[in-house]
Amino acid sequence: MTKYIIKRLVGMIPTLFIIVTLSFFIVRIAPGGPFDGERALPEAVKRNIEAKYHMDEPLIVQYGRYMFDVIRGDLGPSYKYKDYDVNTLIAVSLPNSIILGCMAMGVALIFGISLGVLAAVRQNTLLDYIPMSLAALGLSIPLFVFAPFLQQVFCMTLGWFPTTGWFMNDAPLRTMVLPTVALSFAYYADIARLTRSSMVETLRSDYIRTARAKGMKNSTIVFKHAMKGAMLPVVSYLGPAFAGILTGSIVVEQVFLVPGLGKFFVQSSFNRDYTLIVGVVIVYSVILIVMNFIVDIVYAYLDPRISYK
Amino acid sequence: MALTKKKEITTNEFDQTIVGTSLTKEAWKRLKKNRMAVIGGVIVIIYSLVAIFADLLPLYPYDQAITSHRNLRPSLTKTAGELMLEQEMKNLFFQAWRQGRLVLTEEEDAQIEAWVAASKTNNVWDLVYERGTQALENGSFEWSASEQRRIDNILEDIETETLITINSVSAPVDGQMVNIEDMDYETLITLYASLIGSDYESVNQSMYNEVSATVTNELRANDSSLTGEDLTAAVEMEMDAMGEDAFQSRAIQNVIGYIEQLAERGASSDINTMITSGGAQLPYRGVFDLSNGLHVELEVSRMHDRRYICGTDYLGRDLLSRIIYGSQISIAIGLVGTITSIFIGILVGALAGYLGGKVDYYLMRFVDIMYGLPYMLLVIICMAIFGRNIINLFFALALVSWLTIARMVRGQIMSLKNQEYVEAARSMGVGTMSIIFRHMIPNSLSVIIVYSTIRIPAFIMQESFLSFLGLGVQAPYASWGSLIGDAVSSMALYPYKLIIPSIVMVIFLFSMNFLGDGLRDAFDPQSKNQL
Repeated sequence: MTKYIIKRLVGMIPTLFIIVTLSFFIVRIAPGGPFDGERALPEAVKRNIEAKYHMDEPLIVQYGRYMFDVIRGDLGPSYKYKDYDVNTLIAVSLPNSIILGCMAMGVALIFGISLGVLAAVRQNTLLDYIPMSLAALGLSIPLFVFAPFLQQVFCMTLGWFPTTGWFMNDAPLRTMVLPTVALSFAYYADIARLTRSSMVETLRSDYIRTARAKGMKNSTIVFKHAMKGAMLPVVSYLGPAFAGILTGSIVVEQVFLVPGLGKFFVQSSFNRDYTLIVGVVIVYSVILIVMNFIVDIVYAYLDPRISYK
Repeated sequence: MALTKKKEITTNEFDQTIVGTSLTKEAWKRLKKNRMAVIGGVIVIIYSLVAIFADLLPLYPYDQAITSHRNLRPSLTKTAGELMLEQEMKNLFFQAWRQGRLVLTEEEDAQIEAWVAASKTNNVWDLVYERGTQALENGSFEWSASEQRRIDNILEDIETETLITINSVSAPVDGQMVNIEDMDYETLITLYASLIGSDYESVNQSMYNEVSATVTNELRANDSSLTGEDLTAAVEMEMDAMGEDAFQSRAIQNVIGYIEQLAERGASSDINTMITSGGAQLPYRGVFDLSNGLHVELEVSRMHDRRYICGTDYLGRDLLSRIIYGSQISIAIGLVGTITSIFIGILVGALAGYLGGKVDYYLMRFVDIMYGLPYMLLVIICMAIFGRNIINLFFALALVSWLTIARMVRGQIMSLKNQEYVEAARSMGVGTMSIIFRHMIPNSLSVIIVYSTIRIPAFIMQESFLSFLGLGVQAPYASWGSLIGDAVSSMALYPYKLIIPSIVMVIFLFSMNFLGDGLRDAFDPQSKNQL
């Protein structure tokens, strides 16, 4: 197992390397640069600015310089937000995104698993139909429809929650409710459906029948015996789900004006703020890769049949 | 050796013929039993039909903006003119209330103040309008002179303003009437030259200038660093590279536009006299022979007689037609994206699965690494940087979405590889490609098709997600996502702009999901509702 973990850790390095290289070059091949404004700058000024950021050097030298900086943990200065470097911008905004993402994931997991199990145990009753039709809705309603809809109903019409903002008024926790609900809905849907279907299958299997025949309590069977096996597909789903939550939070951050990383990402792509784009991509990728890694490890612990060699 | 197909009829002990049921037949039977899937399928078919035949529907053009029809609310009964008047009166009543001329009860005053504070503009307008019209009727309120003038202006506009749609223009060429859209470049230029009293050469030259001006603008938009001589040189290169055909098709578009303008201007005086003399009932469909020899078929309608079932957007474009043309784009992206990703996925997956060994190892490691990429982010970068057009969108989405299909096809191929019929084919000397594409792919097609039905809504969602961020389809084209994205900023004032496209989109995704689920359950009854 330890060997496997080490192997996976080493395997992350080329992936990260490819991501950095790819985004570095994609950003720079494209026409236009960070210093092209509405008005063309005088040639001398532009050349000076470019020299300051080492943009007058050949691309390959720039790449080497950038890679060296990244390895030291320095993502460089931002080209658009003068006086800020990318590390600062990310350090300020990333916590908000992480709080939002973790809250959403937590909510989706709690509701998805509990309602999914409930639906599987009480098959074809109201307790099955209601959570599952909710899940079918969640699968079909895109986030960017759902988020404005929540805003319209709960902020404008009912006035229960503040429209936008993040920890900014006197009731900071209330600002978190709607973004979390919006972001978690789609993942609730997936998790609930997955849990239900794998739970139904597990409950039909032989070892559960044996447990029943032994006269075990129903709750013990469901929570101790069936759950462990039934959670496997859910765990393997969590990897892609984190990727989805990262991109989804861009929309939520835009609609509810959460000062997170997503705002910088979209803006910097438009601005050609090279270092900020690549920096944000690196951060997102690291989160994604680490999450995939953790998911794999958890999977291995849950399912002893799988041997990693 | 020639193999002849023998038709054998199997019978059972009662002499009843036994018909073997194929997998597809079984699946079809199971699908028909799944009511939700059937409803979903029907809805998907209806959507596709509407999208395909959108041009035949009586819709207002999706790019035609009538500026005075901005932000009209959806209404089944009222015409655009009535809505315009209503909106103006709401504004005026509100101003009158502010000035204290429109007197309401104290409670209502307090209510309005509260609404204003909560920026619930629509509630305020509705209340003021209701009370205002009542006050007008019982005589307790009158318009001031300037207000009356504004209302009269609108009433007059409604009465008089017309909209001319040119259906076709033809002109005599060698004694025959030819539609200008069918003319070739030279005839068209000669015709236009004679219409404006100029000669072929100078018109040709001015067309060249116009096209190169457009090219200059395009180049400048793509690369703002080009200036002066660089720009001139780039434009010349571009014009040379364009070739005769591309140049002429651009120029023809321009000239047709000019001739239609000429025709409209020529016919407008006739139309005006007809309307003022009361000789024509609007909407009027008519044919005009102009003095300069042009033969115009056009349609005159009262501009403010239009009805907008779904309302209009901030430029006065009909939302219904934008939604329908938007579904064309959204559905097309879903289909094309899926098909492209299937092609790439099949190719990579089949090669990896069949060839095995080193090829398999490297292809699959590549797929693994791609899986680790936050690919939506790469798509966003690509769209933001390489320009926001539909082709780029197809490209970017297809590039990242073939991974799962490749893995799936690889698994299928690997399990089929050692089947007897493949071995038989191999021993008869069939080539690798032929085995893969003639024998193995058709056998795993049902799995692929089922999976791709499930993929289509995901594609539509991704496209809409990009459009929502402003990175997808650009105006005047629309997609569901871009319509929703445009509407979010003004949803408090014009909620219908958000609600209608959302409902349209959600219904489609809903039925697509049910259809996909149904198909999967039908083809593979073992996997009940797996993701």
